[in-house]
Amino acid sequence: MKTNRFSLDRALRRSLIYAILVAASAFFLVPLAMMILTSVKSPAEIVDLFSFPKAIYYKNFSIAISQIGRGLLNSVCITLPAVLLSSMLGAIAAYPLSQFRFRGDQIVYMVLLSGLFVPYQIVMIPLFQIIRSLHIYDTYLGMWLVHTAYGVPICTFYMRNYFATIPRSLMEASIIDGCTLTGYFFRVLIKLGKPGFSVVVILQARAVWNDLLFGLSLTRSRTVTPVTVELAKYVGQTDIQYGSLMAATLISIIPTVLIFLLFKENFIRGILGGSVKS
Amino acid sequence: MKLSDERRLTFALFLFVPVVCFFVFIVYPIFRSLTLSFQEWDGLSQNIEFVGWANYKKIFSSELLWVSLTNNLKWLVFSLLAPTMLGFFLALLVDQKVKGESLFQVFFFIPYAITPVAVASVWSWLYSPRGGVINQLLTSIGLPQFRQVWIGNPDIATYSVMLASLWWSTGFAMVLYFSGLRGIPPELLEAADVDGASFWVKLRKIVFPQLLPSTIVVMAMQGISAMRVFDLIYAMTGGGPGISTHVLATMMFDVSFNRFEMGAGSAIAVVLLVISSAIILPYVFHSSKGLEELRS
Repeated sequence: MKTNRFSLDRALRRSLIYAILVAASAFFLVPLAMMILTSVKSPAEIVDLFSFPKAIYYKNFSIAISQIGRGLLNSVCITLPAVLLSSMLGAIAAYPLSQFRFRGDQIVYMVLLSGLFVPYQIVMIPLFQIIRSLHIYDTYLGMWLVHTAYGVPICTFYMRNYFATIPRSLMEASIIDGCTLTGYFFRVLIKLGKPGFSVVVILQARAVWNDLLFGLSLTRSRTVTPVTVELAKYVGQTDIQYGSLMAATLISIIPTVLIFLLFKENFIRGILGGSVKS
Repeated sequence: MKLSDERRLTFALFLFVPVVCFFVFIVYPIFRSLTLSFQEWDGLSQNIEFVGWANYKKIFSSELLWVSLTNNLKWLVFSLLAPTMLGFFLALLVDQKVKGESLFQVFFFIPYAITPVAVASVWSWLYSPRGGVINQLLTSIGLPQFRQVWIGNPDIATYSVMLASLWWSTGFAMVLYFSGLRGIPPELLEAADVDGASFWVKLRKIVFPQLLPSTIVVMAMQGISAMRVFDLIYAMTGGGPGISTHVLATMMFDVSFNRFEMGAGSAIAVVLLVISSAIILPYVFHSSKGLEELRS
């Protein structure tokens, strides 16, 4: 089948494709552009929506910092340890699950999957009870524990699939060389698993950073609540200044957007791997 | 391979902490929520009373539950169709060997890299009735009659939140479908070209069937997120105006953590769990079957 490569029909179709892609890009980018534009304008300048400000209005950002600055710090303090702990624990659980068949491994896998899908509402109230009775309500420690516990299923799921791609013969060979099972995990598998880890870490960081529900129900004071809770409170205020709200929003999304742009491949691989098998 | 006792012990140790976590934070709480749904508790006091089916009777006779359930169903229909179809369409366009392919992908995906609360914040500004972006835009392009109180009008508030959700989650469906499209063996499409198949025939006979696995995943994910939807609604409308945008998740939070009716809250959570399970179980079975192929 030979078509005329220099046909008008084809050119028109290509232009239509680009036109739609550009229009779709506008749909996705204009809200972000408006957020950025609004964040650098003074209240008087915001009235004229699409104008550019005479000078960057920094006051929005100082108000934003006073509103959500502490929350931002809290989110960092909650996210880093929670992500490290859950990806480590996930890898630990993934090791036996990836290397051996044993009775009930199918069940363990199903259980893991259901752990991914269980709606948090069903654990919320008992969790509130547990955290209170451990006296870690409204503490970083409580948030680390909770995010680790609920991060383990997804981390195990992903690391199991990753470890399964590493040939089992490697383990047998290492063991013949005198390596113990534990030694193989810590000295060999963890190093080989680095690409898998980098995906899991990003996946988890996004999940923990985005969390609103645990923050709302398990923390209360400004010194602990994550940025999502502070931002939600800020959005809910009456008589809000949109300039400073958009500045606060901009600041709060910088970490995840930056991670996405820097580690685009792994970010998308995590999103895909978290939902697709293998 | 046969496991020696020593190996068995090592692996048991590896699984110990995660398994304990699982029982303490997932199994026990689910069980406790079930029992709590037959009890009355204010969340703080020592008083816990058995009340039988009273919590269920109470929630099922409240208007809030029916509004929430209806909204969840609307979210389900919306999530299964809108982001999925738009995501597929965009993936298909980006896959047409366009220039700047990866740039377009980044543009479409970037909202999904943003916290839902931040999405709520941005869209509450776009929707603002006092000088918000959308209303001003409508005026400036000469369509002032379409100005709305987007999230302040109970009749359209849910749909307005859905539009924000579409903006946020289309990128997810797009990347899933894009990787699915790239996974279609080129020989299949080339063979169809040789036979002179038109674009539409190829779409129907090759692309759709080949994308079935991606579609199952997208549907499962969208289905579950429709039942779980919370952040956007909580931050944008808080369930209001009135109770018009409530869903089961926001209702459960409101009843439990604002009114401290933990028993009724648990009953709502149980309803939510039952519905979500019905939606997700077929997917879990499907994907655990895939485990066999993965192992061999």
